[in-house]
Amino acid sequence: MNIERSTVLLKLFRTQAALAALMAFCCCSVPLVLADEAPQTVDPIKHQITGLFSPDRVRDLKEVFEKLPNIKLIKVDFENAEATVEYDPAKAFPGARSDQIVERFDNQLRGVSNSTFGVKPLRTIEKEKLTLIEIPIVGLDCKACCLAAYESVYKLPGVERATASFKEGRVTALVNPEMIDRVELEKALKQRGVQLPSP
Amino acid sequence: MNFRFLTIVSVLLCATIGRAQTPIEFFQAHCYECHDKDSKQGDLDFTSLKLNGADPESFARWVKIHDRIEAGEMPPKSKPRPPAAEITRATKLLAESLIKAEQAKLAGEDLTGVRRLTRAEYENTVRDLFDMSGIPLQGDLPVDGSAHGFDKNSDALDISHVNMAKYVEAADRTLDMAITTQPKAPTVTKQRISLANPAGFVAHVLMNGDGVLLKNKQPDPDFPPAGEQNHLDQGAHERLGSFRNGASVGLFRHEDESFHPYFIEFVALYPGQYRMRTSLWSFQWDKGKVLPGRGTEAARLSVVQLSGDGRGGGHPSYVLGYYDAPSMNEQEHEVVTWLNYKETIGFNAASLAPTANYSRKGRAMAFTGPGITCDWFDIEGPLHDTWPPASHRVLFGELPIVEFKPADHPDVRPPRRIPVRREVGAGKNEPDKESGIWTVHSEQPLVDADRLLATFLPRAFRRPVDAETRQGYVARVQLRLKAGDCFEAAMRWAYRAALCSPDFLYHVEPTAKLDDFALASRLSYFLWNSMPDARLWELAGANRLHTPDLLHSEVERMLKDPRSQRFVEDFLGQWLKLRQIASTDPDRKLYPEFSAYLQDSMVAETRAYFRELMDQNLDASHLVKSNFAMLNEKLAVHYGIPGVSGSQIRRVPLPPDCPRGGFLTQAAILKITANGTTTSPVPRGAFVMARLLGKPPDPPPANIPAIEPDVRGARTIREQLEKHRTDTVCASCHAKMDPPGFAMESFDVIGGFRSQYRSIGEGDPAPRGSIDPFIGISFKLGPAVDPSGILPDERAFQDIVQFQSLMASDSRQLLKNLTEQFAIYATGRDISFSDRSQMAAIVAATEQQGGGVRTLIHQLVQSRFFQTR
Repeated sequence: MNIERSTVLLKLFRTQAALAALMAFCCCSVPLVLADEAPQTVDPIKHQITGLFSPDRVRDLKEVFEKLPNIKLIKVDFENAEATVEYDPAKAFPGARSDQIVERFDNQLRGVSNSTFGVKPLRTIEKEKLTLIEIPIVGLDCKACCLAAYESVYKLPGVERATASFKEGRVTALVNPEMIDRVELEKALKQRGVQLPSP
Repeated sequence: MNFRFLTIVSVLLCATIGRAQTPIEFFQAHCYECHDKDSKQGDLDFTSLKLNGADPESFARWVKIHDRIEAGEMPPKSKPRPPAAEITRATKLLAESLIKAEQAKLAGEDLTGVRRLTRAEYENTVRDLFDMSGIPLQGDLPVDGSAHGFDKNSDALDISHVNMAKYVEAADRTLDMAITTQPKAPTVTKQRISLANPAGFVAHVLMNGDGVLLKNKQPDPDFPPAGEQNHLDQGAHERLGSFRNGASVGLFRHEDESFHPYFIEFVALYPGQYRMRTSLWSFQWDKGKVLPGRGTEAARLSVVQLSGDGRGGGHPSYVLGYYDAPSMNEQEHEVVTWLNYKETIGFNAASLAPTANYSRKGRAMAFTGPGITCDWFDIEGPLHDTWPPASHRVLFGELPIVEFKPADHPDVRPPRRIPVRREVGAGKNEPDKESGIWTVHSEQPLVDADRLLATFLPRAFRRPVDAETRQGYVARVQLRLKAGDCFEAAMRWAYRAALCSPDFLYHVEPTAKLDDFALASRLSYFLWNSMPDARLWELAGANRLHTPDLLHSEVERMLKDPRSQRFVEDFLGQWLKLRQIASTDPDRKLYPEFSAYLQDSMVAETRAYFRELMDQNLDASHLVKSNFAMLNEKLAVHYGIPGVSGSQIRRVPLPPDCPRGGFLTQAAILKITANGTTTSPVPRGAFVMARLLGKPPDPPPANIPAIEPDVRGARTIREQLEKHRTDTVCASCHAKMDPPGFAMESFDVIGGFRSQYRSIGEGDPAPRGSIDPFIGISFKLGPAVDPSGILPDERAFQDIVQFQSLMASDSRQLLKNLTEQFAIYATGRDISFSDRSQMAAIVAATEQQGGGVRTLIHQLVQSRFFQTR
């Protein structure tokens, strides 16, 4: 289902890019005619967001999006680490091909968030096939420490999404069990200096 | 031809001196018994010893004979005393012979030899000439030698091809900095920098509990103090803005080998004046709570030179100052200072004890102790009142700065330009965008060159410059213009030549009596260690400076000028050897309370005390005894004197019978005369004799080993010296040298008062005393100190207080010595035997007016000795 949606969206991007190119041409040629026309409308689109490791990061994400004038944040789905946004690709990512949109979006979001948020393609594996692993941790109740713990696991192959909270004392990871297991997650956490409670 | 002539003169001179009269009858009656060819005690045989003024060794020996008879040291106490009249007659005859011999030798010679500028004089002169108050030059010049205690003596100021190469480099650097290359002043930038700026070391220690972030004087809820766990991943914290949220930074740890806090988000790109402001306060940290502190703490700001080597111990730096951090009350401080390219500002929580929560269990949440908070640090600059800056106008006056377009000047080489670049990535301040080549423009290059050099050369050479000399420099400009240089580049050749010329590098003084310009220079290099200013120049030009009243008022003006601090620092650096303050590192086990803050306070005390002697015109007895000291809190605690708070040095009255007061009991002097681990009465006694009494002891015989103090605490140095002094060869010198050293045994290697020696071996448990409770103590207390002694004149003392009184009672000798030290420093020559009468006259005139140190300076400046080359 997700694959189908992506394919549709890519086609849409291509259409929008063509429209944008046409608009740009018209703007240059007959600006007086277009000055009073209604703005181009675009459909909402969903992306997976990295850096959403705790619910309070939703507010941070909203603040960050205010620095991206050409991309409008519609909704944030914390549970799935997804954001619904609207943008005109021609304005938001001028010159980008449709297959470059996610990368360009990711670059922009990283740029305005000091690399604490990012964008990656929606996950392709069905949620039912994923396993949620919860690992107890101990440490300071500090958002940046949570980011560090989160970053130590979310980039690992097979991790589809993750959360971290020292206040709650746990890291969670939604993983593809065929690719990664708890041991590897714990190893990565320890390597970053995250302390796991003694058994 | 000349050589032959000199040989003949020398032979005649020797013959003349050889016939000089000596008090033979006196020697026969009182000296031959021990000093004839048979006895020859002390390797001295009067029957064969001739006074040869041309031989320095012979002459010095006869001076010593004169001095020992005059002082009553010879004949020795064990022999019958000659009648006083006989001694007077003998010494008078001897003195007349010595003066005659010396004058014969020095006939036709200038008393002060030709001497170049010292490194410090060179740097100060360039700074004042170009109004670039912080250009660093002396560090790259070869170290000056020293003669008669100072580096200003012509005997010590040789010059080599190395010097010359360095002078050329220094001249180029000066001109690079002085000449502006832009039509507008660099943009003034303002930055507020957190002490926790990520590249400045502090963020790292905050993550690990050696400090905390504070908001509203409470721990920052977004950055809890490190406890059982530390913060993870500094990069994650930087990206989330943990160190940029406006929080104040509270530090528990002072600077050490691996921790050098810098405000490195600013790194100077343009040399010039910068205004800095900061807000500081202190607190007591108690395992997560912020409580009122123990008092006013002190933080240090320093200028850090990132162009130097930063490995192992940080980059080269110098102290800007120490600033108060009152308990729980923010205090704002402002300082304006000159910064050079690639310099930044360092911070040190200076008054704190060494602390490292870094790897300690529980880190900050288990720590109780003082902290210093920096709320913020602002820096603004470069500040320019005018543009082009004064340095440029010194060289090019008001000539316009225009864009140089190579196409418009096909036959002219454009001026060399090196764009300003940001080399230190951590610096956030950016250089201005530069476009085009801008340079000074002249419609009449040779006319302007002549006019500009006519102004510059006399100022640089500190005296009028004749037209012929000036034309030589104009000719250089003309040559370069013909060779295709632009006006700026051609003028640079002339200016560089001038800055490397003997006229600039040397003190050029007329023979015999100084003219007004030479007098102005001698005065300014004495009291400012630099060139004369416009006022002195004007008075010299009007030929009025020799007027005694005017000279007096000028000395007063100069002593009140901040530039006189250069005299204080340069003179004390050599007279009392303050330059050697950091040459030893006290043993950390024996002296754990030692810190850079204490050492800097020591130096500040001695300088402030000397300044107070001058400002209050106190007499020479104050060199060794006074009822006040110049202290800050750090020193006051070190000395056990209550009631002093804060980092600033101020005058503090001393309690009765306090063993402090005067240079002898100042921690700087006591540290300089120790070796870092132990003290010995010998070097300390020798220091007192040479530096304060003007009676330097003879060097030790070559075959006598030095005494090594016993750091295990088994035997005192006095016990070892007693054995040493049984040797008759050693006894005569040690009888004079040891007593001052014995009295000073009451002070340890860092100037702390002691009644027992510290030991790292045997001994009693040591009470903490005034040592910071956060400093660990492992030393023990060994044998008791015995500070008693007997002076060569049989006067006994029980302790340092009694010794100070005995010394102070001989204030004439102290004043005489200070007169000679000033005289050597001011004129760049040693005091000859013939000069003694002039020195005595200065001393007498000073005593008649109360004997004050300021009066002494006036009397010296008014003297023929000072005003004659």
